[in-house]
Amino acid sequence: MEKVVTNPAIVVEELCVEFSGKTVLENVSLTILPAELHVIIGPSGSGKSTLLRAINRLNEFFPNCRTSGLVRIRLDGHLVDIYARDAPPLPELRRRVAMVFQTPAVLPFSIEKNMTMPLKVTLGLRGGELRERMEWALRQVGLWDEVEARLLDEATTLSGGQQQRLCLARALALGPQVLLVDEPTASLDFRATETIEQLLVDLKDRYTIIAVSHSLSQARRLADRLWVLREGRVMQQMNRRQLQDAALFQEIIDNIF
Amino acid sequence: MKKIADRCLVGFAWLSAGMVTLAAVMLVGFLLRRGLASIDGSLFFGETHWLDAVSGRAPVFEGIWPALMGTLYLVLVSSFVSIPVGIASGVYLAEYASKRVRASLGCAVDLLAGTPSIVMGLFGFALILLLRRTLFPQAGTSLALAALCIALLVLPYVIRTTQTALQAIPVHLRILGPVCGLSGLQAIVHILLPVASRGILSGVILAMGRAAEDTAVILLTGVVAQAGMPRGLWERFEALPFRIYYLAAEHQTRRQLDQGFATSLVLLLLTSTLFLTAFMLQRRFEKRWKKW
Ligand SMILES: Nc1ncnc2c1ncn2[C@@H]1O[C@H](COP(=O)(O)OP(=O)(O)OP(=O)(O)O)[C@@H](O)[C@H]1O
Ligand SMILES: [Mg+2]
Repeated sequence: MEKVVTNPAIVVEELCVEFSGKTVLENVSLTILPAELHVIIGPSGSGKSTLLRAINRLNEFFPNCRTSGLVRIRLDGHLVDIYARDAPPLPELRRRVAMVFQTPAVLPFSIEKNMTMPLKVTLGLRGGELRERMEWALRQVGLWDEVEARLLDEATTLSGGQQQRLCLARALALGPQVLLVDEPTASLDFRATETIEQLLVDLKDRYTIIAVSHSLSQARRLADRLWVLREGRVMQQMNRRQLQDAALFQEIIDNIF
Repeated sequence: MKKIADRCLVGFAWLSAGMVTLAAVMLVGFLLRRGLASIDGSLFFGETHWLDAVSGRAPVFEGIWPALMGTLYLVLVSSFVSIPVGIASGVYLAEYASKRVRASLGCAVDLLAGTPSIVMGLFGFALILLLRRTLFPQAGTSLALAALCIALLVLPYVIRTTQTALQAIPVHLRILGPVCGLSGLQAIVHILLPVASRGILSGVILAMGRAAEDTAVILLTGVVAQAGMPRGLWERFEALPFRIYYLAAEHQTRRQLDQGFATSLVLLLLTSTLFLTAFMLQRRFEKRWKKW
């Protein structure tokens, strides 16, 4: 039985994205439900990262990009068309729809400043409140114990996995409603992967999460709902029940890849 | 064949680097040999007691102390104009200007950079003549006018280095501002400018050095041989490079010429001190912004 969609968190309709006239996403439509973990898979270059960036308008950072279609996100209870004229301003949108990149992207500052600078500048937090928020976010990603003693070290001295978790913590600290995570475990070992996967599962009740994954097995483990992207189109949508059926999953995947 | 070409290239590189070093060493060595012996109290203060001179209680007639202070003020006042304006223009060119505006404004900056300093001096002179005939009949050549013209002269260095340093920041760093929910201006202030600060510093150093050494501009806009200590922005002043020129051109005894060399050494020392100060300020600032 499919759940009846009553209160979608994100609705994407006929989204098209072009880079310098080359179509990267074509008529993508999806509905994202709250409190579910959504996973997007697809071959390299199929437009997964571009799709995530379309959801917080980060594609507009690239001057050669054109977007059409509709993306509506539930912010404070209302579905808001984020590309509309009266949409929230971009900085606010990107705080509420936070994104973590495929490759860890720390600021060239200390660990502490990576966490505090955006909070200070965008939310005006100071003093005790600021430190509390930083510690809370670092604990969420299980990084606090590892960095507590070296907060003033450069963030680039952290390992790849630690940097990735720092980026996730930085995003969480800003208080987002939606989390877009692009291959969060791409550069991680088995242990760290487990940590991040568990984290995503824990967070999915509080945030609407869309994750991109390279690994089919990971996608199967995590996803409540899965989309398969190929050459900029959604080829297949699968729910939990279909994912559980290993033979069916394999057949569908074989057809697409 | 390729190996020989490689060797030649490496050899040439070594030779070039060696010659630059040699030239610098010879220059400084020559100045030291001719000038060092003349560096003493009387070079700076003439007959006046140094305490009276430094505290301004007694005027200095013979020494270079007023010229040293004049050059220092000139550098500070012109930097006060050229550094903020230059950095702001560089930010505009790198971050806000459209392609067309960037090309045409860039052209103007290059033109400014190519303007000979004597032309800039002439411009200042013409400006003051115009002001005298129109709005301010009492206006005359002064420290303020000279500093303004010098600022105009060194502005392109600051603009270009700021622009290049900002444009060299890779996309993966640039995108972090938007990702963290910063507005365009916030990203410039809190991420891009700090990251570019080393590059900007090199422009600032170039500008300060140029401001300290230029003679042609100030010649027409406010420097005189005997002004005493600089008394204000609207007064004429003495300056080290002009003093050197004056000593070398008009010297009657060998001692006076040696004093010219000594003065050159002092000028070199002054600019080195300014560079070092700028460098240390930037490093301290960098240590701070990396942490908090
Ligand atoms: N800024 C850009 N400018 C031009 N083309 C781009 C840009 N970003 C992405 N593309 C193109 O869009 C297509 C999709 O890229 P995207 O990064 O979304 O793929 P992906 O599915 O995330 O791939 P991967 O699994 O390798 O990360 C690619 O062909 C890529 O070359
Ligand atoms: Mg990608």
